[in-house]
Amino acid sequence: MVDDEVRALTERALDVARAAGASYADARYLAEDSESIDVENGRVEGVSRGSDAGIGVRVLVDGAWGFAGTALMDAKEIERVAGLAVEIARSSRPLLRAPVVLADEQPVGTFWETPIEEDPFAVSLDEKIDLLLKASAELQSVQGLTIAQSSMDFWRRHSFLATSEGARIEQVITQSGAGIVALAVGDREVQQRSFPNSFRGHFACKGYEHIRSLDLAENAARIAEEAVALHKAPECPSGRTTIILDPNQLCLQVHESVGHPLELDRVLGMEAAYAGTSFVKPDDRGSLRYGSDQITITCDSTLPGALGSYGYDDEGVPSRREVLIENGVFQRFLSSRETAPVIDETRSNGTMRADGWGVIPLIRMPNINLEPGTSSLDEMIGTTDDGIFMSTNISWSIDDKRTNFQFGTEIAWEIKKGKLGRMLRNPNYAGKTVEFWSSCDALGGKDEWKVYGTPNCGKGQPAQVARVAHGTSPGRFRDVQVGVRG
Amino acid sequence: MTLLGEDRFEEAARIALGDGVDAALVLAFHSAGGLTRFASSQIHQNTWRESVAISVMAVVDGNRVGVASGSSLEPDAVRATLDAAKAIAAVTPANSDFPGLAEPASYPAANLWDDATAETTPAERADGVARAFEEFPSSIDAAGYIETTANEVFIAGSTGLRAYATSTQAGCSVMAIAQNSSGFAESVERKLASLDVPALAERAVKKAELGRDPADVEPGAYTVILEPAATSTLLQFLAFLGFGGKAFLEGRSFMTGKIGEKIMDDKITILDDPVAPDALGLPFDFEGTPSSRVVLIDKGVAKDVVWDRTTAKKAGRESTGHGLPPPNTMGPLPLNLRMEPGDQSLEQLVASTDRGLLVTRFHYSNVVSEKETVLTGMTRDGTFAIEDGKLARGVKNLRFMQNAVEALHHVEGVGDTTETSTELFFGGSRAPAIKVRDFKFSSATTH
Repeated sequence: MVDDEVRALTERALDVARAAGASYADARYLAEDSESIDVENGRVEGVSRGSDAGIGVRVLVDGAWGFAGTALMDAKEIERVAGLAVEIARSSRPLLRAPVVLADEQPVGTFWETPIEEDPFAVSLDEKIDLLLKASAELQSVQGLTIAQSSMDFWRRHSFLATSEGARIEQVITQSGAGIVALAVGDREVQQRSFPNSFRGHFACKGYEHIRSLDLAENAARIAEEAVALHKAPECPSGRTTIILDPNQLCLQVHESVGHPLELDRVLGMEAAYAGTSFVKPDDRGSLRYGSDQITITCDSTLPGALGSYGYDDEGVPSRREVLIENGVFQRFLSSRETAPVIDETRSNGTMRADGWGVIPLIRMPNINLEPGTSSLDEMIGTTDDGIFMSTNISWSIDDKRTNFQFGTEIAWEIKKGKLGRMLRNPNYAGKTVEFWSSCDALGGKDEWKVYGTPNCGKGQPAQVARVAHGTSPGRFRDVQVGVRG
Repeated sequence: MTLLGEDRFEEAARIALGDGVDAALVLAFHSAGGLTRFASSQIHQNTWRESVAISVMAVVDGNRVGVASGSSLEPDAVRATLDAAKAIAAVTPANSDFPGLAEPASYPAANLWDDATAETTPAERADGVARAFEEFPSSIDAAGYIETTANEVFIAGSTGLRAYATSTQAGCSVMAIAQNSSGFAESVERKLASLDVPALAERAVKKAELGRDPADVEPGAYTVILEPAATSTLLQFLAFLGFGGKAFLEGRSFMTGKIGEKIMDDKITILDDPVAPDALGLPFDFEGTPSSRVVLIDKGVAKDVVWDRTTAKKAGRESTGHGLPPPNTMGPLPLNLRMEPGDQSLEQLVASTDRGLLVTRFHYSNVVSEKETVLTGMTRDGTFAIEDGKLARGVKNLRFMQNAVEALHHVEGVGDTTETSTELFFGGSRAPAIKVRDFKFSSATTH
C-alpha cells in the first residue's frame, strides 16, 4: 500500500490546486521498479535495475488544462508544483477555443493489482541470467549464426490517483517479458529471427511464470537455423497474391491500422503535428465499412494476463470490454473523459494512460483484439492454391492518416496447391487500411488465438511509450501487394 | 529552474563511489522544462516537469558490472542505489570486454546555457503560440508545440573523473492544416530567443496554401528536392544503422569494409560534432570521455564511425566520446549528426529541376533492409510537383522505398543552409536541403 506520506502529498496537491482556482484536479503518484538483462553471444552485456518515483498534478482552470510534475517529493515542492499547474492552465486559457468538459465518472476508492503467481523481482538474478545464457548457447550452437541475443525485462508500477471528485485509486501492475534473437550477418544482408516475437520478445501482465512458459532455449536452435537458412532462400516475389499472417504479425497490423486510427484524440486533431490524425471521422460510427464480415475488433482492458490490462485508467475510469468494429462495421472510438463529450458520448471508455508521473495521460490502446474466426491455419493453407505465409514483424510504416501501410516480416513460406513450400526471404506487403481489412476471408479459431504484448508504442509530446497488447489468430487476406522493392 | 549545482551532485557521488567495489561510475541528471502543445488553433496540452535521475555502475572483481538507477539524490536513496548496483555486480558473470572507467580529462569549453530559456514562464510559451497564431488565416488551423528545457548532467568516476555541464534547449514546430493540404516547419536551438516562431508559422501556412487541392501523382523514380527535415530522416537512420562502432564491428553496418571507399557523391560530407556552435550536444559523453568531432563521410568517401570505450577497446581504437549511458547494448551513436551545407539556395535547387518533386518531410519512416540501408516512409505536410524549375502544384503524399546510401550517391545539389530537425520518436540532426535523382516512390495515398 502507498504510505501515508504519499497520500498526504496528493491531498495537499488537490487542496492547493482547488484553493488556487482549479475546478478539477488530480494528483497521480507513480513509482516504478524495473529490471533489464541482456545477453549477447554468451556474454552478459548489461544488468540493470531502476526505480523512479514522482507526482504529477493535472488541473482544469476555467476549462483549460495545466499540468506539472516533480520527482522532488516533499510538501513544499508539491505545493509549488500544484500552484504551477494552475499557473500553466491560466496561461492556456486565452488561447482556448472551447473549454474542456469532462464526462461524468463515479469516483471510487479501491485497490487493484495484477494477479501473478511468482514475483519476478523475487527470482534470483542467477536464475534469470542462467536461463538467458542457456538460450544464447543454443542459438550459438548453430553454424553460421553471427549474433545471439537473449533478454528479459520486468516492471512493477505502483500508482495512486487522487482526484478532486473523490476518487482514490491504488494499483500495482506487474509486467514481464523475454525473448531471443538470432542474427545471421551476410555480405549484403542481415537476416533475423526472433522468438516468441520481435521487439525483445513476448510481454504480459504476469509474473515470472510467464518467463518459464516461454521455452526460450527449446526454440533457440530452430530460429537460429532459420536465420542462417534465410540467406539462401529466394526473395519474396513481387505481385498481388493471397497472404496468411501469423498472429505475431497480424497483431501489429491491428495496432497500426485499427488501434491508432480509432484513438479519438487523433481523430479530433490533437496529435496532428506529431504522430498524425486518422481517416476515421466521428460520423462514421455505425456506418463505415472497415472490413469484411470476418472482422470484429474489441478493446478489452480486462483481459487476464494481457500486457495492456489494468483495473482503472489514469482518469479513474474502470477497465472494460467494448466492441470497436462489429462484423466489419465501425462502431466505437477509444476515448477519454475530455474527448467523449465532444462526440456526444456520455462516458469515457477508460483508455487514458501516462507512461510516467511527469507526463499527462493520453488515449492509449489497452488490448485491442481481432476476435477469432472459425477456420484454422491448416485449413487456410489447405484451401489456398497460391499464396504466402508471413511470420514475425520486422518493419512497419503507415501514413499520417493511417491508410497507406507497409509491413515487413522476418520470414515467409510460399503456399502452393494447399501446402507450405519454400522459405522466402525479405517478405513484405503493402496496402490501404479499409481495402486490406475488407480482403480478409478467414480467421483462425479460439485455439489459435494468441495475445502478444507490444512494449514500445510511442505517442505524444513529450514522447511517451506505452505497453499494449493485441490478441489475434492467423488471418487470410486476398489480393494483397507483396514484395515491394526500392 | 534552480540549478542543483555541482556540489550537490558531488555529495551524492561521495556516497555512490563508496566501499565494496573496485570501481564505480555515477551519472546524474537534473532536468526541468515546459512543453506547450497546440492543435485546432488552441492550446490543448500544457505541461511541465522537473526530474532527477542517478545511475550507479558498480564494478567488482575487475570486470563484473552492475547498474542501478534511482530518482533521488537523498543519501539513503543513493546508498540504496549503490547497494542494488553492487548486488547485481556480485552475481553477474565476468565481462572480458569491459574496458574500465575513463580517466580524468579536460573538456572542450562550451557555453550551452541561456538564463532566459531556463527561466521561461508558461505565459512566455503561450505568447509564442499566440505569435504563431497571428500568422494564420481563419481558414487554416494551427498545430504544434513550443518547448523549453534546462538540464544539468554530472559524471563522477572512482578514477577521479569529474564532468559537469549545464545546458538549455528550445524547440518549436508549427503545422498548418487547411481543408485538403498542410504545411510544416520546425526549429530546435539552444535559446528560445533564437526561435523565429512567426517565421516558422509563415512557412507552414505558405506550404498549406500552395498545396491546396493536391493532384494525384504516379509512383515511380523522381528527381526530388528533400528539404532539411527530409534529409535529416536519411541521416538519422544512417546513424542508427551504421555510423556506430558496434554495428561496424559486427558487420551489420553499410560502412563495414568500406572505409576509404567512395560510397556517396562528392558533395556529401557527414560528421558528428557535439560542440559545434550550432549543435545541441555536450562536451563529454555518458562515459565521461571528451566529445570529439568525427568526420564519417568526407566528400563521399567513408572515413570512420564513432566509438565508445567498449567498441574502441575491441577495435584497438580510442573512444571518440560517443558512449551512451550504461548498461548500453546498442554501442556508440552519433547523437549530433550533421551534413555540411553546399552552395545552392533552395530556390536554385528548385530552379535547376525541370521535372521533380519537393518533399517537406517524411513520416513514420522505417528500415526495410538494414545493411542495404533500404528505408520506407511517407511524405507529409507539403509535397509539391516541380515543373520547369518552379513549384507547380501540391501533390498527394507518396510512399518512398529507397536505399539511403544510394540516394546520397545520386545527389545533384546541396543547399547552402542547414536546419535541425527531429525524427518521429527518436533523435535529430542538422542538415541542408539536397537534390537527388532517381529517388523511388512505391505507392501513393489518398491525401
